[in-house]
Amino acid sequence: MKDIYILGIETSCDETSASIVKNGCEEIATVVLSQIDIHKDFGGVVPEIASRHHVKNITMVIEECLEKAGMDIKEMSGIAVTYGPGLVGSLLVGIEAAKTLAFVNHLPLIPVNHMSGHIYANELVKPLAFPLIALVISGGHTELIYMKDHYQFQKIGGTLDDAVGECYDKVARVMDVPYPGGPTIDQWAHEGEDTYSLPLPLNDQSYDFSFSGLKSAVINLVHNENQRGNEIRKKDLACSFQNVVVEMITKKTMKALKDYQVSNLIVGGGVAASKGIRDKLMELCDKESITYSFPERKYCTDNAAMIAASGYHAYLLGQRADLHLNPQSSLELNSRK
Amino acid sequence: MKILYIDTTSSYLYSGIVEEGKLLTEVKEELGKDLSSNTLPKIEEMFQKIQLQPEDIDKIIVVNGPGSFTGIRVGVTIAKTYAYSLKKKITTISSLEAMALSSKKETKFQIPIIDARRNYVYAAIYEQERNPILKPQYIKLDTLKCAVEQLIGSYQYISNQEFTDFAIENYDPDILKIVNAYQEKEEVNPHAVNPIYLKQTEAEEKQNLELI
Repeated sequence: MKDIYILGIETSCDETSASIVKNGCEEIATVVLSQIDIHKDFGGVVPEIASRHHVKNITMVIEECLEKAGMDIKEMSGIAVTYGPGLVGSLLVGIEAAKTLAFVNHLPLIPVNHMSGHIYANELVKPLAFPLIALVISGGHTELIYMKDHYQFQKIGGTLDDAVGECYDKVARVMDVPYPGGPTIDQWAHEGEDTYSLPLPLNDQSYDFSFSGLKSAVINLVHNENQRGNEIRKKDLACSFQNVVVEMITKKTMKALKDYQVSNLIVGGGVAASKGIRDKLMELCDKESITYSFPERKYCTDNAAMIAASGYHAYLLGQRADLHLNPQSSLELNSRK
Repeated sequence: MKILYIDTTSSYLYSGIVEEGKLLTEVKEELGKDLSSNTLPKIEEMFQKIQLQPEDIDKIIVVNGPGSFTGIRVGVTIAKTYAYSLKKKITTISSLEAMALSSKKETKFQIPIIDARRNYVYAAIYEQERNPILKPQYIKLDTLKCAVEQLIGSYQYISNQEFTDFAIENYDPDILKIVNAYQEKEEVNPHAVNPIYLKQTEAEEKQNLELI
């Protein structure tokens, strides 16, 4: 059978990325240009600035990816692009570039959901085994998805308010950790002790999550302690905070696996790089004989390799977009498309 | 030589294909919110109408601002990706230059003007269509009016938007004239083709204020 090469393009937030993946599982070349240092000064991603950097860099990123792979665009079977969810202005640049590449090179255009990308990042590790439960945890998303087969997405739960990564960043900010503070909190959590008492939100039978109450609890605690003139033991607070997050996430995930009688778990998204969450999930899965996979750390955060990997399966299923493809800021994962 | 012209810096798509001083096809259409979804399909339609392939184009002239931030990015992204991928020549021109060139009134000065909200505009003053007396800038409307009052000779405001303060010549781009005027303009590396916004983002403006 002829090898299928997909060029993936991802610009949904503040990373400009292009990648070539062979047969949906073998990464040939990936370029990720992060704008993190630019947005740091503003304490978070500024959409207009992100869009400006995407348009500035997009063709250089694509060129570098093709050069790294030593391939010509004519060797591609299709162009896969993230069309949502994400920042509209950012998505737009990747979409216009992908549509143009498809148009001028007479190639098929494959629309890819960013969330699907986070799930398919695991195919770069090992083939997905079905049925499975996918846990996607990132700065923008916190979702539990049940999959019977490729591209059969059934969302069974998600956050009712903030995404988990967003919660990490906000907790980090109140502890004066510069943006993005998630990784520092994760690091501190391992060095501190669980000495602060924080509420476990949405401790119910659903598969949903809630992080805004926890975030407020941490912020209030810091303010109250500051007012009393007490010093915050930041590492301990990070530990207490992360323990609550880990408990909420693992509890709902393990419940979903049990209720749906599924023995495969895959995790994706930027927060999947968190050691605290990884370790606990692995421990619980080992105990319950559940197979699991986490993407390599570099494929946890936003990247185009996962879009190309997901795009490969969309390509096999005949999913195509025409030149009208437009960004969709809030796009649900479903099996229809 | 076949030249593709693309301008998406307002709510309109202005695009055309010119060959040896002849306009083969053009599209001038208000797309508004559908600008990003419909620009490439409309360009594809032009190619189909005159039975050309994307490979047949020799050069792209893209309007890179000022105007709508999102609009500018649509046209610039398409043009630079096209030029990069098929190794075509590319050059940029300002939306204000294109507007001044397209004026049909025989005045001494042309004043292209684009609403930038909050009593600001993007504008320039050209003498005899090409020579900028006031270079393209983000400027308070009142300040522009003061500058215009100093002009000696006839002048005309040009815009595709409505302004209540003064008479406007409706901007109807003369794509053939624009392409003819700029086809010899020096080509640039596609990677270096970038929007000219003429205005910082609000976040940057706020940060600059804090630094003062």
